[in-house]
Amino acid sequence: MIKLTQIRKSFGRNEVLKGIDLTVEKGEVVAILGPSGSGKTTLLRCINYLEKPNEGRIVIDDFSVQCRRPDKKAIHTLRQKTAMVFQQYNLFKHKTALENVMEGLFVVKKISKDEARIRSIELLEKVGLGNKLDSYPSELSGGQQQRVGIARALALNPEVILFDEPTSALDPELVGEVLAVIRKIAKEGITMIIVTHEMGFAQDVASHVVFMDEGVIVEQGKPNELFTSPKEERTKQFLKRITPEAAYSI
Amino acid sequence: MKLDFGFIWTAFIALLPAVPTALAITAVSVFCGLIIGTAVAVIRLYKVPVLYPIASAYVTVIRGTPMLTHLFIIYFGLPMLIDGATDSLGLSFRSVSIPMIGFAYISFSITAGAYMSEVVRSGLLAVNRGQIEAAYSIGMTTFQAMRRIILPQAFAASLPNLSNMVIGMLHGSTLAFTVSVVEINAKAQIVATTNWKFFEAYLAAALLFWGLTFLIERLTALAERRFNLYNRGGVS
Repeated sequence: MIKLTQIRKSFGRNEVLKGIDLTVEKGEVVAILGPSGSGKTTLLRCINYLEKPNEGRIVIDDFSVQCRRPDKKAIHTLRQKTAMVFQQYNLFKHKTALENVMEGLFVVKKISKDEARIRSIELLEKVGLGNKLDSYPSELSGGQQQRVGIARALALNPEVILFDEPTSALDPELVGEVLAVIRKIAKEGITMIIVTHEMGFAQDVASHVVFMDEGVIVEQGKPNELFTSPKEERTKQFLKRITPEAAYSI
Repeated sequence: MKLDFGFIWTAFIALLPAVPTALAITAVSVFCGLIIGTAVAVIRLYKVPVLYPIASAYVTVIRGTPMLTHLFIIYFGLPMLIDGATDSLGLSFRSVSIPMIGFAYISFSITAGAYMSEVVRSGLLAVNRGQIEAAYSIGMTTFQAMRRIILPQAFAASLPNLSNMVIGMLHGSTLAFTVSVVEINAKAQIVATTNWKFFEAYLAAALLFWGLTFLIERLTALAERRFNLYNRGGVS
């Protein structure tokens, strides 16, 4: 279980997160929606301390970090319990697909190189890249790179995987293959928090949907409820505006 | 004026024994400079407390003074310092037992370190911020991320500048003749004093330097191809 309590974050005078409370049960898939600048990516990055929250508390199972004065060791432990899939993939450029997945296993988890290799090959096969083991990121398409990114995150066996707009940088054609992989691992019961603009996907895969705006959680609930009968006016506006039919009709 | 082609060749052959000295000075100063430069670059980029102002002062002072001046200051200053220290400690070591080339090694390493720190810094800046975030996200410490992810990429990115540095230090090694180290230029002078054909002797030296530089250029081209292998796709 992951529990965030009163997470606050400011960039200079600009308060981006205004006290976020969020609980994610084990095995849950949570989708965070909201307009640009609503703080959803910042919130996600606070969970593994790529962004340093000013205040609040992060609890993962029985491990907890007090954000006001975290020690280095706590941050390190927190990062080992989480994994992240980035919008820009951020694969290690000088390492092959296989090495990218192995890196965390044998540098961080201290698993022997042979064992790490076997496990990494398994994972790359799972995301459909068994034939690209020795390719460098520059030789892979965006969709393939992102699938390597997902395998790299999975390898660490984290308590939670954080997805930061995993399909936003992809060609429309390639979005499908990445979403299919996420959908597949969601079924295995891994806890996931996904920041996304893919409404259909969120509705389909998420077990819980959170709508954020201007640094606060406006509304949250089951996907069916939130998408079909939102309670808050702001949520209604947002959902109406991003409905494709309305946006593209001429 | 008549050019004595025969003597150019004779001088060229006579210069060859000085090549190892020139290469040794270059190799030592580049190697030590790279280590000093990497440390300084990392300290300056991450603003390490206490060390940061020292590193910045080092770079501005050393880059702000000529290489020849460094050599003289080390050559005249270091013996005083060493003899003073050994005297007060009651040791029998004397600075006269330091070979002349030792002063060149020390002073040129200090020179190279300052310039090299900027070479390494440009390499570090070329590495996308996402790389270190990804390293942190899989649970690496800053040290692990530096060693395994950031520095290898920074090194590949700084290779062109690095080859500039190596060539610069090779040519700079000629300054060592001012402290009685017989490198290529000094050797040319010695060879020429036998028959006063300085022009031919220095022409031979120039040819030799060009040859060595050409070699360095080829080697970096090979290294670039090897270390930038991962950029070959060019899709991302």
